Amino acid sequence: MSNLAGKANAMTLITPIDGPVMALINKTIFFFLGTKLFSSKLKGLLTLSMIHYARWVIVSARDFPRLSQSQPAEDLDYSYMLFFSNFNGSWAQYVDSFSAAIPDGLDGLWWRNVGWPQSVPEQPFHRYVTDNQLWTSHYYSAYPMAASNDVKSAKNVKDKLRQFIGDSERDDSDAFLTRYNRLLKSLHHDLGQMAPTPIVSLAAQAVEERRRTDGRANA
Amino acid sequence: MANENGNAYALTTLCPLLEVSGEDTSPAALIRDRLHRVNTGASSPMAKVPNVYFCRFLILDDVIYESKPHHLEHLQSQYLVFEASLHGQLAPYLKGMWEQAQPFVRSMWQFCVGFSEVNDAASFTAYIQKCQVKTTFFFNGSTDEPLAEQLKSLYLKQEFSKFAYAHQGWSGKDLQAAFKDFIARVEPENLARPTWRAGATDLKGVVIP
Amino acid sequence: MAPVLDLHDIQGNIIKAYPRFGFCCSRNFFLRVSDGDAGRAFLSALIPTVTTAAPWVSGGAAVVDSKRPKITTNVAFTFEGLKRLGVPHASLQTFPEEFAMGMTARRDILGDDGPSAPASWDPIWRGADPVHIFISINASNQAALEQRYQEILALFPKSGLDLRSGHRTADGAELPYQDCSAIFDNGEATSREHFGYTDGISNPYFKGAGTDSSNVIGGGKATGKDARTAAGWAPLETGEFLLGHKDEAFEYPEAPIPNLLGDNGTYLVYRKLHQNVGSFDAYLARVGAEFPGGSEALAAKFAGRWRNGAPLTSFPTEQQAKEFSARWASAKLAIGQAKTQAEREAAKHRFSALNTEFVAFDYTDDIEGTRCPVSAHARRSNPRSALEFGNKGAFAGPSSLSDRRRILRRGLPYGDSQAERKDDGEHGIIFMALCASIRRQFEFVQQQWLNYGNDFRLGNDKDPLLGNQELDEQGNADGRMVIESDPNSPRPPFFCARLPRFVETRGGDYFFVPSLTALRMIAHGIVDPT
Repeated sequence: MSNLAGKANAMTLITPIDGPVMALINKTIFFFLGTKLFSSKLKGLLTLSMIHYARWVIVSARDFPRLSQSQPAEDLDYSYMLFFSNFNGSWAQYVDSFSAAIPDGLDGLWWRNVGWPQSVPEQPFHRYVTDNQLWTSHYYSAYPMAASNDVKSAKNVKDKLRQFIGDSERDDSDAFLTRYNRLLKSLHHDLGQMAPTPIVSLAAQAVEERRRTDGRANA
Repeated sequence: MANENGNAYALTTLCPLLEVSGEDTSPAALIRDRLHRVNTGASSPMAKVPNVYFCRFLILDDVIYESKPHHLEHLQSQYLVFEASLHGQLAPYLKGMWEQAQPFVRSMWQFCVGFSEVNDAASFTAYIQKCQVKTTFFFNGSTDEPLAEQLKSLYLKQEFSKFAYAHQGWSGKDLQAAFKDFIARVEPENLARPTWRAGATDLKGVVIP
Repeated sequence: MAPVLDLHDIQGNIIKAYPRFGFCCSRNFFLRVSDGDAGRAFLSALIPTVTTAAPWVSGGAAVVDSKRPKITTNVAFTFEGLKRLGVPHASLQTFPEEFAMGMTARRDILGDDGPSAPASWDPIWRGADPVHIFISINASNQAALEQRYQEILALFPKSGLDLRSGHRTADGAELPYQDCSAIFDNGEATSREHFGYTDGISNPYFKGAGTDSSNVIGGGKATGKDARTAAGWAPLETGEFLLGHKDEAFEYPEAPIPNLLGDNGTYLVYRKLHQNVGSFDAYLARVGAEFPGGSEALAAKFAGRWRNGAPLTSFPTEQQAKEFSARWASAKLAIGQAKTQAEREAAKHRFSALNTEFVAFDYTDDIEGTRCPVSAHARRSNPRSALEFGNKGAFAGPSSLSDRRRILRRGLPYGDSQAERKDDGEHGIIFMALCASIRRQFEFVQQQWLNYGNDFRLGNDKDPLLGNQELDEQGNADGRMVIESDPNSPRPPFFCARLPRFVETRGGDYFFVPSLTALRMIAHGIVDPT
């Protein structure tokens, strides 16, 4: 079991919402968040730049898939918000960054979820998240050595490189050098090389090492 | 459409588990154990499936009690939660998953309600769509390019960085020649190769030459 | 609202950076307790000499530094030390995990691998048995240090308490203490360290500290207003550096139970950092020859400050840095040359204003890093408002991502590197960081900001001065740094390749610095969380 896949971390939360009316309010908040008018509200999350993809899913009892008559129907008073995130770093390390930098944003996203303590002060918030967390049994990332920043910056490199190749086709060597230097300038913050994640969790590291040893033993 | 953000797709499924497995252990415990034993990284069955950026599998046993004064309630069934962030449309992705990871799919979904009817890509796709729950809000903090483009980009970023470091101060003539060789080697338009291997956790094995 | 701190209850080294007050030498030694009674009896005898944070000036302006001690003494404990001294298990288990594990067990988090791995540490840090008690003494001269050291040794009981040996020295001998000292130049103590940089310029400023309030500039958290003025800064919450006080998250920091054990105490990270002075000089000379501006400019880009301390963001050229330094020096001279009280006050005022320029800046005007590189050491270890990446209003406060990652720095250099500039030998820094949470503050900065680059969007690139640079497959140095170029010039960025490890860890541990109240409770064996 692991919530880690290299630099990526799978955070999964399930939190109750106080019934269908509140669920509708929460859904409305998300609806507006997705519109241009309120996209500035996401500025904090985007500047943190630590998330690859994240989603919120609000379900009520009747939303739980029922695939046969013999399967009992769900009977719930609360609605539930499922949160799935793929972010970078360990929660223990970065909870303080989220709580310090975007507390209002977090409080908006988990608005009036049952038991939600507000994202500041940090300790009750940390406990609430841990208490409502689900641990992933198998987590896959297509690029464990790439943080969200690496993926975004890589696209910039690829786009600019392809453009450069086209633009410089007919350059003589002087013009080429000038254009190349300009390319490097435009990519000066995109040329950090990637490597495996630092060891953010000794527990995860130990599991990983055991897995490798077992793998070799079973090979 | 809330499941989509540009060309990225948020698939969230809650697949109900049968009450009994026919073996000594409950379906939930069995499937969880199987999931724990699946190879990770580039050896994960998901590494062979096109266009999945990230995915996770877990068993949802029950909802969580927030303590008094809040209300205690329970789920009637347990669910295999399969959540994936994909590029593109759902149907082609699920077809790819069936074609590339069938043994894994059959093993993990073995005790899900109604799964015994699934026997091909079409019925698998239909099944997953029945288990799908609608995403309320999908946040994309990355890109929505096809996975092959993302992997190629990562490969190019790494290789071009090495090139830039190694050719500092070179004359225009030598640089232009070296760059030509570089482009011939890295083939920026070729998504198949050379590129980064999906799921690779180490620099040693990351390049597909 | 600032708390009124009981400065008599707080150990002096937390509030004061002693070297700034003329205590330019220090001796650090470590004890092992094998008998709790003996250990506690020793502590009781030691307590009268422990230096508190009580102010050193009393009476009117005419009576200056009347309470300044000649020698300072402070004491701290490892987790194992607290255990040996009889702190009950019920209290011990309320201490943080990383403190309980000790620094050696945290080496993978800290990046203490390869040449920085425990196998290379001084013997005192390598034993199966960790140290228990840390005593540090500071003085203005070696003789005073030796005197206090002997006085403390004389307090040892007949048995049950030992002085641990195993600190390596230049001639290969192992000593039972680690001496450090400011580097002297023509008989005068400087603030320089072995690479030649002026060190210890910037330290956090927090509420209730009672020190000069102009230190809030650059030392506090950013308000978003002009960083060159006091309006641009606000004091940090006390609880970031002292347990039992409100912290930046609007609560009390996690602290041991009973609260009397933790209140007014803090944690101290002690690290002996060896400096590869030869490699550093060689790299500067070799790569500096190709770098626009030369070696001195390259050195400045590594640190984020010119070696004279002038910050790159405010003084981007060597000429400007030199001019600033000259103004500062003559302002300092003017104080001594003042003939009247009024003249002296005016001169002090002018000097203080210039002093502030060392720290009165933020990176918001330099987001692209063309003056101070994004990868520079000063910027990595304290990004100020840089992590908003120019997106004003993105976060609750402009420096929100930095405010909870600050550390108080209290170290001094050790060894000599002036006679010979080489890698091997015994010279470096005894680095000491004090903070309320080792994990959230020190470890985070060490791992995420020095040995990694993601928060700066630099991939896995490391700090050029302190990073644990890797080797390539052939075993050659493989560290990297991009130095951004002037946006107005056609010059491309400069790529520093083959950066070796300039700094290597030689040992250390995690310590708890108790208040005087807690110290007395530990010494009397009365700690009880019931």
